[in-house]
Amino acid sequence: MDDVNERIPIANPAVVLREEFDDWAIVFDPDTGQAFGLNPIGVMVWKSLDGKGSVAAIARRIREEAEGVPEDVEEHIRTFMEAAVRLGLAGYEVS
Amino acid sequence: MATPRQVDVEITTACNLRCAYCSHFTSPGDVGEDLSLETWRDFFAELGRAAVMSVTLSGGEPFVRPDLLAIIEAVCANRLRFSILTNGTCITEEGAAHIAATGRCDSIQISIDGADPFTHDAFRGRGSFGLAVEGVRILREHGLPVTVRVTVHRRNVRSLPEIARFLLEDLGLPSFSTNSASHMGLCRKNAAMIQLTPEEHSEAMDILMDLAERYEGRIDAQAGPLADGRLWSEMERARLEGLDTLPGRGYLTGCGGPYQSLAVRADGAYVPCSQLGHLVLGYIGRDDLLTVWRTHPELQRLRRRVFIPLEGLAFCRGCPYVPYCTGNCPALAYNLTGETDQPSPDACLRLFLERGGRLPRARAGVGGH
Ligand code: SF4
Ligand code: SF4
Repeated sequence: MDDVNERIPIANPAVVLREEFDDWAIVFDPDTGQAFGLNPIGVMVWKSLDGKGSVAAIARRIREEAEGVPEDVEEHIRTFMEAAVRLGLAGYEVS
Repeated sequence: MATPRQVDVEITTACNLRCAYCSHFTSPGDVGEDLSLETWRDFFAELGRAAVMSVTLSGGEPFVRPDLLAIIEAVCANRLRFSILTNGTCITEEGAAHIAATGRCDSIQISIDGADPFTHDAFRGRGSFGLAVEGVRILREHGLPVTVRVTVHRRNVRSLPEIARFLLEDLGLPSFSTNSASHMGLCRKNAAMIQLTPEEHSEAMDILMDLAERYEGRIDAQAGPLADGRLWSEMERARLEGLDTLPGRGYLTGCGGPYQSLAVRADGAYVPCSQLGHLVLGYIGRDDLLTVWRTHPELQRLRRRVFIPLEGLAFCRGCPYVPYCTGNCPALAYNLTGETDQPSPDACLRLFLERGGRLPRARAGVGGH
């Protein structure tokens, strides 16, 4: 997918990433008390939600940096972002 | 776990009461000095950087600190949630409103040991019942999640049905929890008038298990007669059925605390748990939290406790409950034996039976005899 005109995802700065063990982590929203588990690829995605790269760019970076990444990782990231936005854990940069 | 999930923080060593079974006064946590707001602010910032999720503010009595609300602000500023343990006697409308406005409070636990002033005040001091009940009312009015803890002792063991009715029906609380006064702090010197005899403990187990059934899950316990009644019934059933073992039993597995939480005394000493206040691991502001958490030999030792088999301990030799037992709380074990790598004699089923105690009556779905 072309990056041009794509929205830029960004993590909610109030949300905490807790890296627990073996590269697994929890994202924790202190305002709601809700916590969600992330697998190692999820952790890489979360750390990429810095407001600098599109979903396509994040997917490219993960394919480069991690092994065994599924072909349709970009689709997974979009689904992940939909859930994260719905739960108030992340959003998109307003240009 | 790379960092603690939760930290218990004794923000003051002071209290307006002197309960006869207080586990704080005369314990190693009774340090006689409090730290400044600034020091706590820096510490909560360190907890925030370490992605700790929540703190429990206790003491002493947290509400006697005039700057409690500023402390709570510092907690919230660092992306933490919080709980408070209190005697409930110093709660004001203004304080409750402020706490409610943070939206970060998981629970405020108030101690109530009776359904009337006579029973509650017997060991907590005159006037404390009325104030604690008023504290519950104020907090609930502000929509805060109030929980009540009932400490079972010799003077209230027969009033437990009235206490349950008062808390669950008259006050309309969703639930409450129970424990019993254990051999720590002031309770050590007042044990004879406070701690349950085996006969009273047996009675308390039956009464509480009946009440827990009647109020359908609204009474809970991590320690004390109700917890003992449930655990010991399960152990007895396993023994009668001749089971090889039960999951996670047969080792000193009674406490998972050192894997996920840490505590800080009022003088800033890191300790594994408030009830192991003698095991100083370092000091806030001087020692890095994560270095203490990841490398301190005492913490590592406590974490390895779960690999110590009960069958190898002289105390447990020949006991038929070895494959089904957890050895219970290391802090209680320390207070009674001087060692943490031992079972707690206070929660030992074999000793309880040898001293004339009875297992709870058998119930549907729960073993026992
Ligand atoms: S038990 Fe709690 S309320 Fe009672 S004296 Fe000790 S710290 Fe104070
Ligand atoms: S002696 Fe006590 S602590 Fe040891 S296994 Fe038996 S019941 Fe458990």
